[in-house]
Amino acid sequence: MKAIILAAGKGAHLSPFSDTRPQPMIGVAGRTILDNSLDLLKSSGINDIFVVVGHKREKIIEALQEHDHDGLNIHYVEQKQSRGIGNAVMQVKNKISPGEYFLLLYGDILTADNIFSKIQQSFHAFKSPVASICLPPSNQQFGNVFLNAQMDITKIIEKPKSNNLGNYVLAGVFILPASFFELLESTGASMEKALKKLVAGEGMRASMWEDEWLDVVHPWEILTANKMIMDSWEQSSIAKTATLESNVTLQGIVKIEDEVLIKAGAVIEGPCSIGRGSYIGNNSLIRSYTSLGKNCEVGSGVELKNCVVMDNTQIGRLSFIGDSVLGENVDIGSGCMTVNRSVDWKPISVRNGKGPTTSSGMSKLGAFLGDEVVVGAGNMIQPGTVVHSGKIIPACYSVTHK
Amino acid sequence: MCGISGVVGLKNISELLFEGIRNLEYRGYDSCGVALMNKSNLIIKKDIGGVEDFYRKHNVLRQKSNIGIAHTRWATHGKVTQGNTHPFTSRDGNFAVVHNGIISNYRPLRDSLMKEGYKFSSETDTEVIAHLLEKFFKRSRNPEKALVKTLGLIEGTFALAFICTYLPGQIFCAKRESPLMLGLGDEIKFVGSDFNAFIDHTKNAVILDDGEYAILSRDSYVVKSILNEEEVTKPITKIEWDSETSKKGGYPHYMLKEIYEQPQTISNALDLEPSGLDEVVDMFAKTDSSYFLGVGTTFYVAKYAQYIFSELAGKFIPPISSDEFLSLANIDKKTLVFAMSQSGETFDTLSALKHTQAKGGKTAAIVNVMGSSMARMVDKVILQGSGPEICVISTKAALSQMVILTLLAMKLGLKRKVITKKTYQENLKSLKDLPAIIQGILNERSGFIHRIANKYCKNKNWLYLGRGIYYPIALEAALKMKEVAYVHAEGMPGGFLKHGTLAMIDDEISSIVFVPPKENKELYQSTLHSIEEIRARSGFVLGIHFTEQGKNQDLFNEELILPNVPPLIAPLIQLVIGQLFAYFTATSLKRNVDKPRSLAKSVTVG
Repeated sequence: MKAIILAAGKGAHLSPFSDTRPQPMIGVAGRTILDNSLDLLKSSGINDIFVVVGHKREKIIEALQEHDHDGLNIHYVEQKQSRGIGNAVMQVKNKISPGEYFLLLYGDILTADNIFSKIQQSFHAFKSPVASICLPPSNQQFGNVFLNAQMDITKIIEKPKSNNLGNYVLAGVFILPASFFELLESTGASMEKALKKLVAGEGMRASMWEDEWLDVVHPWEILTANKMIMDSWEQSSIAKTATLESNVTLQGIVKIEDEVLIKAGAVIEGPCSIGRGSYIGNNSLIRSYTSLGKNCEVGSGVELKNCVVMDNTQIGRLSFIGDSVLGENVDIGSGCMTVNRSVDWKPISVRNGKGPTTSSGMSKLGAFLGDEVVVGAGNMIQPGTVVHSGKIIPACYSVTHK
Repeated sequence: MCGISGVVGLKNISELLFEGIRNLEYRGYDSCGVALMNKSNLIIKKDIGGVEDFYRKHNVLRQKSNIGIAHTRWATHGKVTQGNTHPFTSRDGNFAVVHNGIISNYRPLRDSLMKEGYKFSSETDTEVIAHLLEKFFKRSRNPEKALVKTLGLIEGTFALAFICTYLPGQIFCAKRESPLMLGLGDEIKFVGSDFNAFIDHTKNAVILDDGEYAILSRDSYVVKSILNEEEVTKPITKIEWDSETSKKGGYPHYMLKEIYEQPQTISNALDLEPSGLDEVVDMFAKTDSSYFLGVGTTFYVAKYAQYIFSELAGKFIPPISSDEFLSLANIDKKTLVFAMSQSGETFDTLSALKHTQAKGGKTAAIVNVMGSSMARMVDKVILQGSGPEICVISTKAALSQMVILTLLAMKLGLKRKVITKKTYQENLKSLKDLPAIIQGILNERSGFIHRIANKYCKNKNWLYLGRGIYYPIALEAALKMKEVAYVHAEGMPGGFLKHGTLAMIDDEISSIVFVPPKENKELYQSTLHSIEEIRARSGFVLGIHFTEQGKNQDLFNEELILPNVPPLIAPLIQLVIGQLFAYFTATSLKRNVDKPRSLAKSVTVG
């Protein structure tokens, strides 16, 4: 079976991280969401993969070339203009033969266990179109998929108006027939309408997914995703070429890649992952659920806690970064703090650009710094702050020469 | 788009090949064909139509063979005719080929083959492959070399497989762009367009890459590159698969499937032959000494029966747990013992019934499994018709039994003039609405129950509280929690709190309260009173209650609000919530839902 991954969307809510990369290229627990999906697809027996690319497509193409996905045939299909999900699906129309069924996956979906095996098993049983459904982690995402006892989907309400509806939602993984393209054409490429038509016509069955599932929409959900994957880890791995100096303490599950250097006195409390070529300075404390990308530099005496740090980022000495996400090539000067809670412990709100303020529902949350952000030494960053890519924040001095 | 399946094994593989190709039928179903081998003669069968029709029409399963390839076709080149159906044989009949894909240069190839004297029987692109194989075999006398030579000539896309009389124990296959994978079993090998072709028999697959070919025999396989004929080391992909899944029909567990089947099983219960129920009602009417009998879940069903018979039929019928029956029951010739059992094989209940019969008492039962010991031994049996209950935890069978008991109580009440015809009709209407209401709750509220279960799954202790008929509901819901989630849950009447249990209330013990609808004024008030007692001691309360009860925000720490329903069916609906709460707690705790520890489906030992 062929799989189609939709990876062309802009994912505006995920700004600043989605400004400079497609959503599925966001790294959690040391790997991108796309890598995670490709691995699961492969172990579910699928190796012909079409990735619909658009926004920042070069990032995907470069990464997959560099990355060794042994045994996967990956093809790219470009969606020239960002015109919605239905239109993205239409781009692969000529790759699917009449009568063929294909697996469709929304690129921002993350699961730890194999949702693709599960849906193929359901398909194996039903031999008809199937949609994975799941119960979302928060009430805000509730939609409503109505079922009968035979798992026929009888009705889909994507965004219920009533608060009394709280049930299974479409999990963003489908097995659909080639005739679905005709439904898309007849509905002006509206995914929602085409699915409703499919339900009313040929019919669609549901495959229930009960394990963890996440649709990474908001920046703080990167942290949730990171935790979800790390919680599924079963064993540590430390590369042979990694160097751990004397008196380095490792606790819990840690993944340390090639050529990492951890200086004396550092404490790593798993689950943590430290990407290839990264440097951890003396007496640093890397607390649980920290994911460091490749070639990161962490100065001495730094404390990191529950944070995702992407490749080539530097964190200056004596800083604290907690409950935060840092993009690539971020440069944090020494002695910076991400404050991660309000005095009253109320959930932290996040204001992304000019958009409205959204409550994260989390009482502990730090900052979101886009790629190439520079934070001068001595800054104290307010909880829930978003700093857009490339912004330079001057150092903060209490004593100057003037 | 076509499907290819092939099997080579030690014994007759005809059946396996049939299963394999039938599982690929979704890839095309215009026509179907197979090639099998009898000693070293090829047997070819093909026809238009679907796989099963084709097999029946041509009696294909009668052909015995230890090697075979099959094809189900979706026409691309050539019309849907028997002649255009795969497999195709070479001129001399020694090669049989199936193919998925499009040979883009088949016209020039066909023209030159025709000049050499090869005759074509079809309009398809595939036939050239069969003839090319023969042609190149004649030069090299080696099927593998013939394959490589052929693949070098054809352009376009393919996944193909062939068998030949020269090496009757080997399947040759190759792939470019169209999908193909190998399935590796012990003394048996498979090839298929995807793993649907063999997943029921092996989970070890080798996924071929473009430009590779493979040779399979029952005990070995080799994958090589078409380009240089060098062997390629391929990783074995272990396909994660749960062979039970197809039986579970998309549900993750039988328990959830059976919870979702309840609207149907309740409808079945309401459609039971009235005369059978009336006979049982007569039995109850004739005696003043009767008992309800059950154990485990069915004891709580029996307790529910006690309440509903008291309410609707004005009759006091004590429930007895089967294991305690001998110590409690006083049996004479007038005594009626009415038992409930899903399996009809429950040891304790059977013993109690035997004892009753030995003393000359009458027996009757509600049983799910037809032909079971209990169904055969009692004087009168009601077969509840809930269908097989596979999960060890009883859900649909118990709820259906409660519905049947409600119906019996109504009938007896009418007969004894405890309820009016009008009340009877109203109650019947409420029962008939029950399936749709449960369906609605499953479809609209599951998410809330899931979220709450997820949030509190780490709680170690629960008190399940209910008053009146909600007390057996609390007991049964608590038992579900114990059975499936292994969490301590204690069912208790609300009135017990102030007789000692309140001393237990602290932050380590949480309470679930089944709140009746407001129409049941006294029960409602007394239940609220219990809640206040807990809250006054800072205990945590999860309230399961019905809408339109006004704002209860301050009453509960957490609440599950249900739509307003008639009071008769309110407890049954709350039980469904209890089932789901236990189920989602168990999945959050990653329990083995369908086969929980320390429990068997029918307890047939004493």
